[in-house]
Amino acid sequence: MNFELLFAKAKAKGIEDVQVFLVNRSELSIEVFSGEVDKYEIADTASLSIKGVYNKKLATVTTEDLRDARIDELVDNLIQNASIIDSLDEAIIYAGDPKYETLEGAYQPELANLDVAKKIAMVKDLDKLFHSADPRITIAETMYSETTRSVLLQNTKGLKLENKVNTAMLGGSIIAKDESDQRTGFDLVITNELSDMDLPKLACELVSDVVKKLGAKPIPSKSYEILFRNDAFATLMSAFSGVFSAEAVQKNMSLLKGKLNAEIGSPLFTLADDPFLKKSPRSRSFDDEGVATSYKEVVKNGVLTTYLHNLTTAKKDGVSSTGNASGTSVASINFVVQPGKHSLEELLASIVDGILITDLQGAHAGANPVSGDFSLQASGFVVENGKIGKPVALITVAGNFIGMLKDIVAVGNDLKSSYYGITSPSIKIRSMAVAGI
Amino acid sequence: MLLQKALIERMIAAALSTGATFAEVYVEDRASESIQLVGGRIEKVNSSKTFGVGVRVAQGYRSVYGYTNSKNPDELVKLASDLSKSYHNDVLTAPVPLGKLEIGSRHKVKINPRDVKQSEKVALMKKAYVAAKDYDPVIQQVSVNAGDWVQDVEIANSEGRYVHDTRVRVRFYITAIAGKDGVMQTGGEGPGSGKGYEYFYEDINLEDVARDAARTAKTMLFAQDCPSGIMPVVIDNKFGGVIFHEACGHSLEATSVARNASVFCGKMGTKIASDIVTAIDDGTIENGWGSANFDDEGYPQQRRVLIEKGTLKSYMVDKLNSLRMDHAPTGSSRRESYRFSPTSRMSNTFIDNGSSTFEEIIAATKYGLYAAKMGGGSVNPGSGDFNFAVSEGYLIRDGKIAEPVRGASLVGNGAEILHKIDMVGNNLDRARGMCGSASGSIPADVGQPTLRVSSITVGGKKGAA
Repeated sequence: MNFELLFAKAKAKGIEDVQVFLVNRSELSIEVFSGEVDKYEIADTASLSIKGVYNKKLATVTTEDLRDARIDELVDNLIQNASIIDSLDEAIIYAGDPKYETLEGAYQPELANLDVAKKIAMVKDLDKLFHSADPRITIAETMYSETTRSVLLQNTKGLKLENKVNTAMLGGSIIAKDESDQRTGFDLVITNELSDMDLPKLACELVSDVVKKLGAKPIPSKSYEILFRNDAFATLMSAFSGVFSAEAVQKNMSLLKGKLNAEIGSPLFTLADDPFLKKSPRSRSFDDEGVATSYKEVVKNGVLTTYLHNLTTAKKDGVSSTGNASGTSVASINFVVQPGKHSLEELLASIVDGILITDLQGAHAGANPVSGDFSLQASGFVVENGKIGKPVALITVAGNFIGMLKDIVAVGNDLKSSYYGITSPSIKIRSMAVAGI
Repeated sequence: MLLQKALIERMIAAALSTGATFAEVYVEDRASESIQLVGGRIEKVNSSKTFGVGVRVAQGYRSVYGYTNSKNPDELVKLASDLSKSYHNDVLTAPVPLGKLEIGSRHKVKINPRDVKQSEKVALMKKAYVAAKDYDPVIQQVSVNAGDWVQDVEIANSEGRYVHDTRVRVRFYITAIAGKDGVMQTGGEGPGSGKGYEYFYEDINLEDVARDAARTAKTMLFAQDCPSGIMPVVIDNKFGGVIFHEACGHSLEATSVARNASVFCGKMGTKIASDIVTAIDDGTIENGWGSANFDDEGYPQQRRVLIEKGTLKSYMVDKLNSLRMDHAPTGSSRRESYRFSPTSRMSNTFIDNGSSTFEEIIAATKYGLYAAKMGGGSVNPGSGDFNFAVSEGYLIRDGKIAEPVRGASLVGNGAEILHKIDMVGNNLDRARGMCGSASGSIPADVGQPTLRVSSITVGGKKGAA
């Protein structure tokens, strides 16, 4: 689409300012099952979001049809959509910041250029490793998926910005079976550097994790010391990442309303948003409004230091945007729970009567981001007097988000990036209510 | 017509040119609109138009898939030809020529959401907002989201299938937040339909629905934390059916059964539930939230009796997975959009009526949890372990509904819980959900009469009772 033509036609019809946000994606995904390529997908798509300010109201239209012939209709849709908005929020199209960081290593040509046959061979190798690691592994669905995402932002204030990021995920979902039980596990490595794809390590760790879960049973209901393994804590954080949005706070829909500069967690808890995190598919140098992104500690030593802002919410609060615009809303980019000093082994050794939680399920339903209450299905291992014991499944762990953050008593040094875009170490909580038998 | 028939035939021919045995072209055009109201004001409006083509090429049950949103004929044929390169066979399969385009016509819509003025949608939203906000002074915030889409698909394959289907969906989502002394609780309702806007004008009263969301929020604000432990649970009708959807439905989809990854593998014809359980997945319900004329492989949607009086009668099977397992396809193939290769999914899934009344079920329960409204949940089909959230709950004491409790979740194992259903009511009703799985997020309808599970693990913040 000719954006200059779009801008000119929009202006002619009375639209004050326009911004286009064009996302081009190419994707490749491979799945191996029983030693053979079972699924293979390729895709090339483009999606265009257009924001326009008409009568001081901001409306959006999205299209996947990028022909110039569509421009008149898109402009008319923008005007229609803006006409029904009666929000008091100020509509802003941004002229830009003086400086934008360079995203180092965000696009790795080695990954993109590696022959597809070699990628397939890698997935088949990993599949073999899953099966050969333990005879109880009966099923493995081994996958590789790679995305290259190019973003172009351009507006009538003269701003033009581009980012290009590629990442791959390699991993699998496996099932271990013995005479009496069947357990599953899933893990993947997210990276854009081939050297990170350590197949034996990935296979070994996942297989050993799943096999150890065989025979897992619920345990008696009571309060236990809880150690969330890094990936489980990331899952929990993902359910609550929206509460840091200034938009949610201003609209009276966040439990963090009125908590700015207040203690919301233990002094051991520091949470940063790092837009430049290496190897993350979400990293970016500008947000969806064209504001330069920046590293910030959202919670520092337990104190909430800032909400996440876009231009509109920032103006309302009389602060600067934190560069967290996402669509017409606000979102974290790469949340990183800052690591502490302890290894996982040290954390385990400090537990007298507790549970190591390795997996949390149902975070999309069992966690309420408005009240902060959660009650989630969990599995893991009993920990008694510092020693890992029997596997545990079909229990729930329940609490309140802020209450739990305040009850953090130790933080691990074992940072891991999760599928949910959250990076976390293992976290020990003083005590939580567990339901089992 | 979304794409010229001759072009589709060229794509299918290119896809089969190197020895693949099956090729399919899926063309999708969708126009959607979403409007968001918060605190009485329209905050956001987006209209969206998506178009794309997905091509699947298979040999036996192994397939490759590609998609694009290009409309350029040469690029589309090249996509098919690129995909064909995964296969190298001397024996070629000849495609069956496409006949006349078969147009699905079962689910008629009176008021197409594309023909409803935005101002009329806004008027409905504001009415719902006022009804919820004015319900009680503790209601401190209300949001109303209105969304709808019209999806047109054309599906053609190398066996001569050539169909067109139009799927219309309309939905409101109303969230009320009640707050007092720094504590906030929510209530939500999401009425929707495969009808057009006549659903909101004629079938339901949005203001009543909005007040019900507010009532839940207020009730939960003054509720105690739920105790935890194992107890009988009475799960009410409508969205309560999410229990069957999560606990069993997913494990009956060929997606997991065909790979021998489900707890229900090899159980056909055997008893997997108590005698009073009959469960049905019916994709033909007129204007149902999960209905369609054709599934996403282009075959007619069907009514499938999954479990009859406790005995497993059918899995939900798509065409390709049927080749992997000894089970005919059941018209169960679905996908979110052209960006997903299709697989077997649920449509409108429900447990059928039993003989008890609601009052009898409550009266027969000495102590337990009454789950009046359910939130969502999830399942691991490999182990059958599931969880779901209770969004409005009460304790049952001495056969009577007692104090409200909040923050409860239920966990259990699908294979076990089916045997523990010991009372089934006679008040079957259904509700709307969105289901996320291998082929994306799709509208799925759930339902059941009020039923009782004799014992299940209840998780709550209050701890052991």
